Amino acid sequence: MFIYLLKRVSLGLVIVVFAVTLLFCMIHLVPGDPARILLGPRATPEMIAHLSAQMGLDQPMAMQILKFFGNLLRGDLGMDVITNRPVAEIVFGQLPYTLWLIGSAIVGAMLIGIPLGCYSALHRNTWFDRFSGIISVACITAPAFVVALYSLLIFAVWLKWFPAVGAGEPGDFFDQISHLVLPAIAIGISWVGYLSRLVRASMLEVMGENHIRTARAYGLPENTVVYQYALKLAVLPTVTVIGVGMGFLLSAALFTEIVFSRPGIGKLIFDSITTRNYPVVMGSVLVSTIIFVISTAVSDLINAWLDPRIRNSL
Amino acid sequence: MTSSNISKQEPDGLSRRHFLKTTGALGMVAAASSASEVIFADGKKILKVRAYSDLRSMDPAFSQGVVDEEIHSCVYSKLIQYKPGRKWDYVLDAAESIEQASPTTIKFKLKAGIMFSNGYGEMTAEDVQFSYQRIIDENLKSTNKPDWGSLQEVTVDGKYEGTIVFSAPYPPAWNIALPYIVGNIVSKKAWQEAGGKVDTSTPCESGPYLHAEWQPKQRTVLRRNPQWHGGSAEFDEIHILPIDDENSAQIAYEAGDLDYTRVSLGAVGELKSNMPSHTVLEEYPSLFYVWVGMNVENETMANQNLRKAIQHAIDVPSIMQASYFGAAAPSTGIIAPGLTGNRAQGLVPPGANFAKAKEYLAAAGYADGVTVTLDVLNKAANVTTAQVIQATCAQVGITVDVNLHESGAFWSLGDSSSGERYKDIQLILNRYSMAPDPSYATAWFVTSQKGVWNWERFSDAEFDKLESAAKAEVDASKRDTMYQRMQDIMEDSGAYRFLTHEATPVVYSDAIKPAFRPDGLPLFRYFGQG
Amino acid sequence: MLQVLKKVSAEPLGLLGLVLVVLMVASAVLAYWIAPYDPIALNIIDRLQGPSFKHLLGTDQLGRDLFSRVLFGGQVALKVAFISISIALVIGVLLGMVAGFGPKWLDSLIMLFFDTIRSFPTVMFALATVALVGPSLMTVVAVIVVTSIPTYGRVVRTQTLSIKNNEFIKAEQVMGASTARILRVHVLPNVVGPLLILASMDIPTVIALEAGLSFLGMGVKPPTPSWGSILNDGYTLIRNTPWPIVAGSIPLLLVTLGFTFLGESLRDQLDPKLRNNR
Repeated sequence: MFIYLLKRVSLGLVIVVFAVTLLFCMIHLVPGDPARILLGPRATPEMIAHLSAQMGLDQPMAMQILKFFGNLLRGDLGMDVITNRPVAEIVFGQLPYTLWLIGSAIVGAMLIGIPLGCYSALHRNTWFDRFSGIISVACITAPAFVVALYSLLIFAVWLKWFPAVGAGEPGDFFDQISHLVLPAIAIGISWVGYLSRLVRASMLEVMGENHIRTARAYGLPENTVVYQYALKLAVLPTVTVIGVGMGFLLSAALFTEIVFSRPGIGKLIFDSITTRNYPVVMGSVLVSTIIFVISTAVSDLINAWLDPRIRNSL
Repeated sequence: MTSSNISKQEPDGLSRRHFLKTTGALGMVAAASSASEVIFADGKKILKVRAYSDLRSMDPAFSQGVVDEEIHSCVYSKLIQYKPGRKWDYVLDAAESIEQASPTTIKFKLKAGIMFSNGYGEMTAEDVQFSYQRIIDENLKSTNKPDWGSLQEVTVDGKYEGTIVFSAPYPPAWNIALPYIVGNIVSKKAWQEAGGKVDTSTPCESGPYLHAEWQPKQRTVLRRNPQWHGGSAEFDEIHILPIDDENSAQIAYEAGDLDYTRVSLGAVGELKSNMPSHTVLEEYPSLFYVWVGMNVENETMANQNLRKAIQHAIDVPSIMQASYFGAAAPSTGIIAPGLTGNRAQGLVPPGANFAKAKEYLAAAGYADGVTVTLDVLNKAANVTTAQVIQATCAQVGITVDVNLHESGAFWSLGDSSSGERYKDIQLILNRYSMAPDPSYATAWFVTSQKGVWNWERFSDAEFDKLESAAKAEVDASKRDTMYQRMQDIMEDSGAYRFLTHEATPVVYSDAIKPAFRPDGLPLFRYFGQG
Repeated sequence: MLQVLKKVSAEPLGLLGLVLVVLMVASAVLAYWIAPYDPIALNIIDRLQGPSFKHLLGTDQLGRDLFSRVLFGGQVALKVAFISISIALVIGVLLGMVAGFGPKWLDSLIMLFFDTIRSFPTVMFALATVALVGPSLMTVVAVIVVTSIPTYGRVVRTQTLSIKNNEFIKAEQVMGASTARILRVHVLPNVVGPLLILASMDIPTVIALEAGLSFLGMGVKPPTPSWGSILNDGYTLIRNTPWPIVAGSIPLLLVTLGFTFLGESLRDQLDPKLRNNR
């Protein structure tokens, strides 16, 4: 197990390094001079050169990449030369908004999706099962930004039930929650569908397995069988699925944050790419890539631990 | 910037406002109609306003324009401030008196007893000298240096008296320097202690409000300055929320999250027929100028007849309808009405003239048609404008191929220091911001700006001469004529089709009494309660 | 093939999917003939109208008929989906075979490439690419190709690896069969089924991605209609009229739903093993 862990972690590291280098190369081939954009129309060529030097853009690219990783080892993501704040501070200032958003979307989706799937599995082939099946697939396929647009249109513009913009009054918990509702729905709704289908499928599989049948044969109450044995086994795959789905979640968060003018790492990435604020692009992409790699690794590990065939070969 | 400023949270626990907000969220409908009162939280009067971007710097030398200035003008003092209203004028702020003593000198006397916060003492002429001279100091590399024009020095004539000395007459000082970004007066002592410049926090203030906190991408909080020399500010706090999208801002306004916001031109018609309760809509003209530029050095566009054909093929009234919903008017040039140098009429009328366009096209040797590219920044109004241009040009046989760019790529298109792309520009839809002095508009189109901001690569000896002469012209009516002539030259070259100055529609709750510059930019320090 | 279609249409959801897909493809292909208006012709006087008999889905801010734009937008969506997935399939198959049959270091390198691509959220990768080369349909296609290759490549690689160690194949190799022949005869036929199912299930994702990028103003060039750019118009006009959002989203939702039902049904018919693979 330990060796597997080690392998998985080092693979993750290699991927992060590779990904960041790739992005570095892409970004530096992009036309558009950040110094020029950031300084605005009245900048003289000297000012532009000065800012480029501050950003380290005047050095060869290989040098910049090495420096970036060198600083990274010391926990330093560099400085945003515009506001003169450490990039880490900016990124970690925005990250909680996205984590809250993703987290509440997923928790909400689990609270609705798992019971739905469970109920469908237990009432297989009833009209409810079929109906929820169709709705689930419809939910899965709905792109987050379309759901976001509709919820903005209906609940914010027409009904005015929920606020539409921003993340709410800082320090005001309830205000922040009410700002979270619509964006979380936009991201979570496809996961409701996804999880309910997944739970249904794995429930059916588990229910067919020997020990469950044995438990039933021994006359254990149906509820105990379902909730103590079957559901527990059926829910575990959802955990791993969420890990793998982190990429989708981050992409969905990006769209949603744009539609709702919400702070967060997705909007930070979008804004910093369009303004060519390289240090912030690198920092925010690095952090989200790490989140993604970690969550896939964790879900792989859980998977490995769950699947005896893999576990035994470790 | 220290992290303490960011992590500072309001320790107000479960206040009445919390309770109201919560029931609003749960009861859902209640919140919508409550927009009519200034928000009281813990008995505090709070003004909530929208800015279109986030704070960039608290240092006037590195202010990034309008949004930073909206904050600076609340927390710093200037000798004079813009006067709220429909006509450009100024009012005294820190100055007790100020006058143009000679074409190259301005004499001022400060009010006595203006105190800087945080114990930095009284404001003296030495602070004014420091604040102005640091902007033009080469070593500081202030991005706002050009605003001071020919400023040479500020002499200190007494504790409160001083003289601003220019090397050549500089009339724009009254319009875009003294009452604007570079006119902010900071404390010499505080700035020197901070190492000569500050970032996103400020060591001390002297205006009606103090810079209390900044939460990046979330809000800037200004708090009443108890020792302000002008009396007591109207609000306990001003919350400035950065919301870049105007539609989102309007939705936030309608939800009661804001007391004031600029709205999009597209919203004006709908608002007029369906005004939210307790809301006032006002329309101000704006100073922005939008035009289609044509690159005179491009192989295809070097043909002046082709440029003139395009001038006549673009139908400005259709663009006003489609992109600006009839809420903006066609422009005659780059200098807006109300400013010195505005032309009553352009050479090419706003409406398209297809017959003329075809004549020019035939003269250009393209009787059978031609294909040109139009580079556009991918903002909604621009994309719509581009498509209208595409459609009307098609009627005379000019095929327009639209290239969209996101802001990063767009703003470096014509920059000759970053690659060769500037050569490929044919048509470009452009929009520049503007300060209330004509010199600010013409400065970008001189020969030396070729490949910097002059993307048409337009070059005219008479224009260049007029540009430098008009800046220093003291006689207002001569100045007026000079700027008008310069726009004639631009238009006659065929390199420009002027579209509009846009407009600034704003909405605000009738619980507040706002104050605006003639171009609709908010002057928060003068905002009051309704 | 016919038999598969028969089986699929015997199932209600499969039939629904099939009908939706056929409907969408047909309306996109026939857009030129069935669209009541020119999708790019301006009529500013009639702008921002709600649905009527004259304009089934209303008009946009330039007075263009939204129904016609939606039909032509379908062409863009399908074109992008089919072109990019076909290219990704070809490259994915090649890379997967090379990884499976090639030397170990090459295999590792290709796998690292796959994992790296997968470690970017797709949209982020797309944004960087669009910033690099400018927005256009080609860019969108390129982004989709690059991000889809790993999925297909992995399937092919797994299949190749399992066949490579087959005694029977080893015997053939000894008898002088070329690698190319082995790949063609023994690997390809085995992966075609799963790949087609994967591809058909990828189509909705790809269409949604194109719409998403166009929504951000990073996809099609104006005046080309795309569902995403219609939605973008709708977002800017959200205070004025809901119809562009409705017009842009309905076909998007229907076609993704159609392809998903169809894909799931195909999968159930052809390869139940894949069920839990995604």
